[in-house]
Amino acid sequence: MKADAALQRELPEVLRTPELTVGPVTPGSLDDQVLKFPAQKPPRAWYIGFAISASVMTLGLSLIGYTIFTGIGVWGNNSPVFWAFDIINFVFWVGIGHAGTLISAILFLFRKRWRNAIARFAEAMTIFAVMCAGIFPLIHVGRPWLAFWLFPYPNQRALWTNFRSPLLWDVFAVSTYFSVSAMFWFLGLVPDIASMRDRTKNKILKPIYTVLSLGWRGAASHWQHYEKAYLLLAGLATGLVLSVHSVVSFDFAVSLVPGWHMTIFPPYFVTGAIFAGFAMVVIVLVVVREVMDLKNLITDYHLEVMNKVILGMSCLMGYSYFMEGFTAWYSMNEYLHSSFMNLITGTYAWAGWLTISCNVLIPQILWFKKARTSYFWMLLVAMAVTVGMWFERFCIIVISLHKDYLPSSWHLYKPTLVDLGILLGSFGLFFTLVMLFARVLPVIATTEVKAILPGGQPTHQGGGHE
Amino acid sequence: MSEKAFAVLGLFDDADALMAAIPKVREKVSSPVEAYTPYAIHGIEEALGLRRSPLAGMVMVMGFIGAVTALFFQWWMSAVDYPIITGGKAPFSWQAFVPIMFEVTVLFATFTAGLGMLLLLNKLPYFGHPVLHSKAIEGITRDKFALSVEASEGAVDVETARAALLSAGASSVEALPLPATGPSLTAQFILRSILGVVVACGISGLAMYWAIKLFPVLPPMVHMEDQPRLDPQRADDFFRDGHGMQQPVEGTVARGYLPLGVASQDEAAVLVNPLPRTAEVLEKGRAGYTNHCVVCHGPLGNGVPTLTKAYNAKPANLVSQQFRDYPDGKIYWAIVKGKNAMPSYAYDLSEEERWAVVHYVRALQRAQSALPGDLAGAAAGAASGAATKEGGAR
Repeated sequence: MKADAALQRELPEVLRTPELTVGPVTPGSLDDQVLKFPAQKPPRAWYIGFAISASVMTLGLSLIGYTIFTGIGVWGNNSPVFWAFDIINFVFWVGIGHAGTLISAILFLFRKRWRNAIARFAEAMTIFAVMCAGIFPLIHVGRPWLAFWLFPYPNQRALWTNFRSPLLWDVFAVSTYFSVSAMFWFLGLVPDIASMRDRTKNKILKPIYTVLSLGWRGAASHWQHYEKAYLLLAGLATGLVLSVHSVVSFDFAVSLVPGWHMTIFPPYFVTGAIFAGFAMVVIVLVVVREVMDLKNLITDYHLEVMNKVILGMSCLMGYSYFMEGFTAWYSMNEYLHSSFMNLITGTYAWAGWLTISCNVLIPQILWFKKARTSYFWMLLVAMAVTVGMWFERFCIIVISLHKDYLPSSWHLYKPTLVDLGILLGSFGLFFTLVMLFARVLPVIATTEVKAILPGGQPTHQGGGHE
Repeated sequence: MSEKAFAVLGLFDDADALMAAIPKVREKVSSPVEAYTPYAIHGIEEALGLRRSPLAGMVMVMGFIGAVTALFFQWWMSAVDYPIITGGKAPFSWQAFVPIMFEVTVLFATFTAGLGMLLLLNKLPYFGHPVLHSKAIEGITRDKFALSVEASEGAVDVETARAALLSAGASSVEALPLPATGPSLTAQFILRSILGVVVACGISGLAMYWAIKLFPVLPPMVHMEDQPRLDPQRADDFFRDGHGMQQPVEGTVARGYLPLGVASQDEAAVLVNPLPRTAEVLEKGRAGYTNHCVVCHGPLGNGVPTLTKAYNAKPANLVSQQFRDYPDGKIYWAIVKGKNAMPSYAYDLSEEERWAVVHYVRALQRAQSALPGDLAGAAAGAASGAATKEGGAR
């Protein structure tokens, strides 16, 4: 740490990392600020927000129930567009989750210390997004009570699953992703819950925290293994996060549908996932730091850095879109060519152009520092990206499917109200879970932030850390 | 004899003070020294002389086991137990197995890292540890740093430890008594339970697989393929005679088979055709006649069958005078009971269809011996005369 501080002083002003907290923050004041929320009654705004998102969630769940009882004929899906909102929403939500793992794992490996303050929230969002995503393949199969057929288990048909199918890879990828994210999140929470256990005087909460903290007592020998485990998990999650959306993209790329069968899909999907996820993190963090008054911990610097990531990802998205067009032209494959022309001039061209404007053009405003630090611009961009990334999946799935190799089966797709209601309901579920999380658990990883506070680490060791 | 305790804790205000105190205290006491801190302190493991965490090696080994397990199972399922060609790939197409190998590797490695750290290395959960019941714990999980002289076996000498901690700069010192009871729900118990569950899953999985192989009639999940019901002709001990289905009660009449109430064809002459003579009824009669009668009696009803060459019989010429003089009832009787070589058609034609066929036979007879008045353009009187004539034919 000392070496780090010395290095900082030697650097010219512009290259120095700003302080990661604003104003005086000590370990004690940090606990008082962050850990008070679970103990106190939430403000009015919380109740209003919770009522709205829980109602929307209920609407979505009712429509899912209606779908299950009636059959998926209540959706707009029809030949040849057999995949529509169900798969769009699945890909969208899995993608949202990726930002959390990127922040908590990849930035951890790169020793980006600013991630510590936002990692907890981002990880929580990962888990909630994957939960939202998991619903869609489940209802997409039509008979969710038979969804266990997706797993290889000994059965009376003596058949096994097809291990050469990307759809099966997806089952493994998403379930592994959820398990690993949940493990990562829970391990991070253990020391924080121990802090809450030792703070609370509440007779009901104390036993709950005691059990959840597993009797964590902060022993140095425990921290040593804990840090190692965290590092290993970060390494594993890094590989995993890159693989999950790649596997999701295989669902498309391994097929022969024009517009899907492309080698650029895995990196293109991973980029898009991180892009959409960061936008969602920015939206939620802006609300959280305002409502919970955490501006000294989630600083303008944090938001600015995240906006830079969004800008970078936006440029990569632009490159991917350009590459799609280039491949269509350069391959001289008439099917691919017509599929791409369909995207920019066909019936759904409005969705194609909406995608390109929201994902590539609007985020370019973030080149300006003023926009990166202004709520108005960053929220505008983040919302545009959320909309744009949803429509990107719409373009990939619906535009490619509705005109495939057989002109006789070409058919336009139109969603029903049930489709829209379930999409809305998934947002309701997500925000309900986010608000419950903000209500009952520490929204900032206090132990991780304490470790990077000035003076938090011993100085006399002289760069003694690994 | 001085006071004995499980551990003696000294509190420090910051990480620097703690790090400075560690070598001083370790010099003066022989018992192991442990630190309790609110967050991970860099370099403390060297200062305390802790052994390097073996977690990385464990994770690597388990990750490798995960990869091999996934490859083995995919190979065995796809190429050995039920080889099936999909997408034109060989049964053992290992390239396609790589994504799942990767996922299972990560899954094994993650659970080893997480649970191995908690349960195996840190022996957590541990709810009865004396430090958790100390006064200092509120500070430890907040912003204080504690150095603890702990007993590896037995107890520590409080006075020596207190003196060592105070001279090293501890702001306060607390002696923790030996715990009265052992911890509840220990990591050891959980590890054993997990192991038990894993072994049970393995055994039951294998047992299930072989049970299905050896006893294919015992499907574990049938989804309404098997429904309890009694099939016809099956035995059942519910009834005294052992038949699952019973004969109908004597005198039972099946639908559409009401007895005619007459004993012979001559008596059947009294039966009256209940159907009106409409185009619909004649159409129905034609259908019945074409399906069942035409092969023998011929399309004109004149007894010239469509099967002449293969069929050496002399069917009745229905348009002959003999049958033109028959009342409807006698034709009906012939359909129901059969006549000479002709079998009964009662099971092929319903009651209504039989009467419709009778009407159609009448139409055939009339067609073969038409009267001048039947021609188009004839006077209405002639038509009524024809009706009278027909009535006479009955």
